[in-house]
Amino acid sequence: MSTSAINPVISARRLTVGYKPKPVLKGLDFDFEAGHFISLLGPNGAGKTTLLRTLSRHLSPLAGEIRVQGKPLASLRAIDLARIMAVVLTDKIAPPLFTVFEFVAIGRYPHTDYLGRLGEVDRNAVISSLAAVHAVDLAHRPFADLSDGERQKVLVARALAQEPQILLLDEPTIHLDLKHRVEVMAILRDLCRSKGITVVASLHDVDVAAKVSDRVALIKDGGLLDWGPPETVLTPEAVAGLYDFDKAEFNRHLGGIELRGDGDQGRAFVVAGMGSGALVYRMLAKKGFAIATGVVHTNDLDWYVAQSLGADCTSVPPMAKVNGSAMVRAAGQMAECDFVIDCGFTVGPVNQANMKLLQSALTQGKTVFSLREGGLPSLTKSDHNRSIRCDDAMQLLDALDRFSARNELHPKALEA
Amino acid sequence: MTVSERALNPLSSMTWRRPQIVFTLLTGLTLIMMVLNVGIGSIPFSPLEIWQVLVRPEDNSTISSIIWNLRIPRAIAAVFGGAYLAAAGLLLQIYFRNPIVGPYILGISSGATLMVSFVMLTTLTVGWSLFTPFISTLAAFAGAYGVMLIVLAIASRVKGGVTLLIVGLMMGYLCGAVTAILTALAEKEKIKGFVLWQLGSFSGFKWNEIGILLVFGGGILVLLYLQSKPLNAFLLGEEYAASMGVNIRRFRLMILLCACALAGMITSMAGPVAFIGMAVPHMARLSFGTSDNRILIPGACLMGALVASICDLIARTVLSPVELPLSAMTAFFGAPIVITLLLKQRVKL
Repeated sequence: MSTSAINPVISARRLTVGYKPKPVLKGLDFDFEAGHFISLLGPNGAGKTTLLRTLSRHLSPLAGEIRVQGKPLASLRAIDLARIMAVVLTDKIAPPLFTVFEFVAIGRYPHTDYLGRLGEVDRNAVISSLAAVHAVDLAHRPFADLSDGERQKVLVARALAQEPQILLLDEPTIHLDLKHRVEVMAILRDLCRSKGITVVASLHDVDVAAKVSDRVALIKDGGLLDWGPPETVLTPEAVAGLYDFDKAEFNRHLGGIELRGDGDQGRAFVVAGMGSGALVYRMLAKKGFAIATGVVHTNDLDWYVAQSLGADCTSVPPMAKVNGSAMVRAAGQMAECDFVIDCGFTVGPVNQANMKLLQSALTQGKTVFSLREGGLPSLTKSDHNRSIRCDDAMQLLDALDRFSARNELHPKALEA
Repeated sequence: MTVSERALNPLSSMTWRRPQIVFTLLTGLTLIMMVLNVGIGSIPFSPLEIWQVLVRPEDNSTISSIIWNLRIPRAIAAVFGGAYLAAAGLLLQIYFRNPIVGPYILGISSGATLMVSFVMLTTLTVGWSLFTPFISTLAAFAGAYGVMLIVLAIASRVKGGVTLLIVGLMMGYLCGAVTAILTALAEKEKIKGFVLWQLGSFSGFKWNEIGILLVFGGGILVLLYLQSKPLNAFLLGEEYAASMGVNIRRFRLMILLCACALAGMITSMAGPVAFIGMAVPHMARLSFGTSDNRILIPGACLMGALVASICDLIARTVLSPVELPLSAMTAFFGAPIVITLLLKQRVKL
């Protein structure tokens, strides 16, 4: 699996990495292009860290060759390599009595004199490294007092102080809160885009990786499963295979992972469309309901979410009017469901038929939970009892809970 | 004022002021302690008397003899001993990335003691003429390096600071056991000298021993100071240090050779001295407020010199004319400091 780049900054040929005598990854061939953001994805223990440690020369390859900027990695002097490549590791380091400035200044190592004295150039480099990670205001804080997120930014700044062309990071967002996770990823992306630094990072968030990476490498089962742009590599099947997903699916269009429910809490028919159903689907999946839905267009957000959640989805092509055959199929699905939810979609010329679907649900004697503003217009008085108006998701949840309790919608529990 | 100026200015003034003050203080106190060490004793001398002896070295009076041959070598030995043990402790703490190690804890002193006991307790077979500082120094080196090699071999297999401490303690016990057996088998007149040596003392230093300390120890310290840049990088751990361009293998070897040489040299001449190597680097770190080894190497040496001088003065004056063992003094002094540091969580195991 090789993609030849015009200007490879790191290239590996028939590379085997691991700890003697046991290889972890075998037969790797890849070229990392200068200025690219490269993510290594894979389950824990797949060998992402082992590969990074080999690229940074902390481990010797068991076989094969690595070249950095065309020169064999093994032949580079430590000090020369340090001017090309910097690393951010997962080790918890807490050197005592260092200010952030002093800590980052240690990164000037390959550029300072034999005593490590800082010149004007070095001081400016330290400050601009801190600026690149939005941490200039931390300069005088003791390093040991930083929060996890601040520490991670400062670790990146220390690496930048080496003025590297390649930055290797091992799980740079692990243990970080959401704010810092987003911030660190944005910083890394900016380094890549504006400074042209080649960033190689092992990541555990496949959705984040898909959004920032130029190339992703899928690492599992002792080798490279696939390698290329995330847009082509990160298919739902590839991601499910990579992480052995069972009840989840990665959706490229939504850029996230949808978690499927067990579907053993009863069956819901959701009348949705125009994006009104996405949140309702997720809520139902979370609660463990099986989902059928219709009729939605195949370019609708609802369609993507329903697909990823494994719902029985009746659909029509984009812009098409909801027609007879789709209606028949949807009505059939609806008949098998325990209750119906009206997501309160906007009614337009192409989806008027969905309103008819809801009316027929009432006539069939189904209970309909409606999120529609003002409720579902009822035809007869008896309909009124079965149409339950919910003003928001909270009320819908409460209504569903009451409904489940009253009707004992636990088929599996009853069978047992 | 730009952002970078704001960030730089307070720093440049802050980091350089405090070390200078502490250096001046420590140097002054150490010099005062040296004068006290020369002046105080069974026959006290005033600074004026000392000065007169110093400016007229050719005088053959008893006073001159006591000052030149007993008091001054001892005062200088305390200064060198404290400085070198502190430097060795600092190196080992960085090397093992463990704040609580020192030459004594890791068994280096015990190894040196064991080898010296071979020389001191079994010299009858070889002859008195061989009992020179030179051979016991070599023996101490051999013992220090031997134990260090064993500790290293075990440390490379197990991770974790506590394990390392236990390995060091066990090495200490093993060496102690062999030493005890040798003591039991040795002739009585040998034992007294050895037991006294084992308690640790800066007494009885000859000028030629001071010369050895000055030339070899001084050389090692200069070498170490030139290594303060990689030592600083090593504070971040081996992998970071390597990624910044430190030649790890060469560096590791050099640090251990230096630490064992310094500790072995002092142990061979003054006996095993506890706690200075462990506690003084912490005292230096806290009083200088930095982990920067460009400041800490000379800083820990000065602090060690001061502490050893104080301990030696107390050891020989408190119950005068009985001289208390030096290691007892340093333990009284060092153990509470280490416990306090641990309780305040300034250091972590």
